Amino acid sequence: MSALLSCHNLVMRFRGLTALDDLELDIRHGEILGLLGPNGSGKTTFFNVVTGVYRASAGRIEYESQDISKSSPQAVYRAGIARTFQRSRLCLPLTIFDNIMIGNHRRLNHGLWFNVVCRKQLRRQYEACWDEARELLMTFNKALGTRLLNAAGSVSMIDRRRIEVCRALVSRPKLLLLDEPSAGMTHEETNELMDDILIIRARMPELTIVIIEHGMSVIERITNRCVVLNYGRKLCEGTYREIALNAEVQQAYLGKS
Amino acid sequence: MFSADKSPGPLPAVVGVIAIAVFAMLLLRIHDQWGLLVLAAVGGIALLVAARTGAAAYAERAFAAHEPLMNGVVIIAFVSVIAVLARQDFSLLILATVLLYSIACLGLSVQLGYCGVMNFAGAAFFGAGGYTAAVLGAHTGLPHLLIVLAGGVVAGLLGSLLLLPVLRTRGHYAALITVAFGILFRSFLEVNNTLGGPQGLTVPGMTIFGWSLGKGLVIGDTTLSFYFNYALVTLGLAIVVFGVTRRLERSWVGMHFDAVRIDEVAASTFGLNVQGLKIMAFVIGNVFAGMAGAVFAMMTGFISPTDFDFSTSLVLIAIIMLGGLGNLWGILPAAAFVLILPEKLQVIQEYRFLLYAGAVILVLLFRPAGLFPRRLRRHFPLKAPSRA
Amino acid sequence: MDIGFLAQYVLSGVMLGVVYAMVAVGFTLYFGVLDVINFSHGDVLTAGAFVSLATYLALRAAGVDSPVLVLAIMLVAAIGSMAVLGVVIAKFFVLPLRYAPPFITLLITLMIGIAIRESIRLFYPSGSNPQSFPHLLPKTAYHWGNLIVRQDTLILIVTGLVVIALVNLFINHTRAGLAIRAVAQDGETAKVMGINFEWIVLLAFALGSALAALAGVMNGLYYNEINFGTGLMLGIIGFCAAVVGGLGNIYGAILGGFLFALLQTIVVIAVPSLSAYKDVFAFGVIILLMVIKPTGMIGEVSAERV
Repeated sequence: MSALLSCHNLVMRFRGLTALDDLELDIRHGEILGLLGPNGSGKTTFFNVVTGVYRASAGRIEYESQDISKSSPQAVYRAGIARTFQRSRLCLPLTIFDNIMIGNHRRLNHGLWFNVVCRKQLRRQYEACWDEARELLMTFNKALGTRLLNAAGSVSMIDRRRIEVCRALVSRPKLLLLDEPSAGMTHEETNELMDDILIIRARMPELTIVIIEHGMSVIERITNRCVVLNYGRKLCEGTYREIALNAEVQQAYLGKS
Repeated sequence: MFSADKSPGPLPAVVGVIAIAVFAMLLLRIHDQWGLLVLAAVGGIALLVAARTGAAAYAERAFAAHEPLMNGVVIIAFVSVIAVLARQDFSLLILATVLLYSIACLGLSVQLGYCGVMNFAGAAFFGAGGYTAAVLGAHTGLPHLLIVLAGGVVAGLLGSLLLLPVLRTRGHYAALITVAFGILFRSFLEVNNTLGGPQGLTVPGMTIFGWSLGKGLVIGDTTLSFYFNYALVTLGLAIVVFGVTRRLERSWVGMHFDAVRIDEVAASTFGLNVQGLKIMAFVIGNVFAGMAGAVFAMMTGFISPTDFDFSTSLVLIAIIMLGGLGNLWGILPAAAFVLILPEKLQVIQEYRFLLYAGAVILVLLFRPAGLFPRRLRRHFPLKAPSRA
Repeated sequence: MDIGFLAQYVLSGVMLGVVYAMVAVGFTLYFGVLDVINFSHGDVLTAGAFVSLATYLALRAAGVDSPVLVLAIMLVAAIGSMAVLGVVIAKFFVLPLRYAPPFITLLITLMIGIAIRESIRLFYPSGSNPQSFPHLLPKTAYHWGNLIVRQDTLILIVTGLVVIALVNLFINHTRAGLAIRAVAQDGETAKVMGINFEWIVLLAFALGSALAALAGVMNGLYYNEINFGTGLMLGIIGFCAAVVGGLGNIYGAILGGFLFALLQTIVVIAVPSLSAYKDVFAFGVIILLMVIKPTGMIGEVSAERV
């Protein structure tokens, strides 16, 4: 499997704090990669740098043989990279449908003339999107299918996370970055979420997923490969089994043994 | 008392519109100060009762549920009020002013209510349109409808000049720039004489396809007020701008505006051109204000810096906050309340800015969504997908 | 242009700078602790000036003559009452809205400013007219060749600089100031560390408003006139100055205040015929600076967690 995205010597500094320290990381085509590490090891920062929210202090990020280290978040999205956020970032006052559609920017027509004047065509696009959004959402929670026009703030925290995943998936990205999607969920809900993600993946076989998680059973079940970060550097990589047995990893998580 | 689960029929909303129309008509017609005070008190009490018993909310739901019908009802109500007041110069002038301010507030809604771009210089853009009308009307032979458009364009250009530089920064910078502009616009115009200085300029009245609006229509042996003409024209313009704004809201663009307002960072990671959207909203809003200002100048025949100062900008903001931020329908009653009441009730005229400030403060503390909170977006409310 | 003439303008520029800096520091304090833009700040300045004027008139009516005593009481009245007003604004209008979108707080403080301004205009006797402010500082002037330096100007400038230095000292070298800085950096953590968040916010508002009141009195003493509308412009300028220096940064606010005064003075000296445009020019340059350095010259102190 070749590398879909690779970063070399990636450094991210915030006024004296080095969050990413010469990071070397590869993400291979079609894999599900688990990104692990204790709190503060740079996982979310890595996502933020890749998606252009932060500009890297130094280093290179190559995606499909293009250098995206200086790309804007919009350009990164257009290249086919979508994400969820660690702290849920939905537009709570808007409807669930709107929230999902915000993720679909790439595939919508947003010209002023089209939107204000060509209402019939807009309506056709709207209805096609409605069907898509509904189907996608119902994969994760059947009950939400009738509530597309409710405010996103009116549903539970768990459902909001599901909506966020839908928002990231609706544009049919090539690379999906999930930042602790199961935070706050019970074991059953987490398993359900992972099952649903695998269902989606089955429909989009070229989809590459990177998932930041803390639940080890999840990681073991769903990932092909794991990378462990510590203090902004790669500590080790391999299958879950391999990294779980690694002494340095144990020390990083549990302290000196 | 009012059932919350059944979808209401249109009657409560129609009753509500008629009540408001009658109230406005009386308010505009009566000159006796005591009569006005009684009317205002009655209106206030009626509103309180309606709010407490849930009748107001019920009527509002009915209104939203039967939109196309209600569009027609409101237009008929307006035309009726205009017809009844057909010979009252002052009343029609106020009515037309309310409509023109409402158009500017529609623009402000797009900027602030949808996209979250702060604009404390709304009156300055309104005035820019007016001055455009003055200059173009007096010095060129451009057809007046084009002049109205030009007023919008000038206001739009002026706005982009202002905002483009500071878009990459946080929201309060836009606030600062527009506040400064709002204050300086007036002093800038007063200080130099190219645009008439403090005395201002005269503006030729509007003529559309040969129909000179400055002359009152003659029906039988009665001559109507010439403000009747302007009231109809402003109503027409208001309908158009309202329709455009509503379509804008119920589209992907409106949705993107909201996304930018609520969470810029997330919006950018999903490809939204945050800068571009803010500029678009700002320009659209100012174009509306400029067009309204051009018509206003032509109607009053005169334009001077005093009408377009910072206080007027704040009045515009007060209107959209009171009416309900982002709710287009709320603008009309709010504008009527804010503009008509102090004009007619001499006793509060002097205190009106204090009252506006107080009202907005109360709204912000206790009902920040405004009197008529904005509803959730339904792109095509009448033709909801049957699979829903 | 001779030196004396030039120096006059420089001195008046410094005087302006001191006042702007004091207002700007207030803005920066409010933004620092609560991420809030307080548009009523300029009008608190005006209110302070009017309170001091009313106090003066009352004292005169009561027969108190000594200028030093009168001035002292005026200052106490103005600073005290405005500190209270600042606390009231914070407690009842700003703190309750701290979880609402920032625009709401901005708007409410704008409205409070209007309320204060209109109240002065409506309820102070002939409030819409400029009020003459007493001459309480020695007006004797020093002559050095062409240079005429009034004693009152010197006193005001020195007072202003001393006060700014004291505020700086307070913020950076006392426990209360440390608490303010802690809250400014991270309110949540400060709370966890045992700092009473609300008290600190109220303290910051009291301090900022006290500064505004002092600036208002100083303004009155310098021009011997106050006006209900002065605060609006001063507030905008102060805000501008705080922004260009970097919101949340005290040194930036001071720098910005003097910068704005400098820009105005340059216009007046270099192109006297365009003096009326000095505000436009100064704003224009500030906007330019904001474009070049969006987070302020020294740097805005606030970060968003993604």
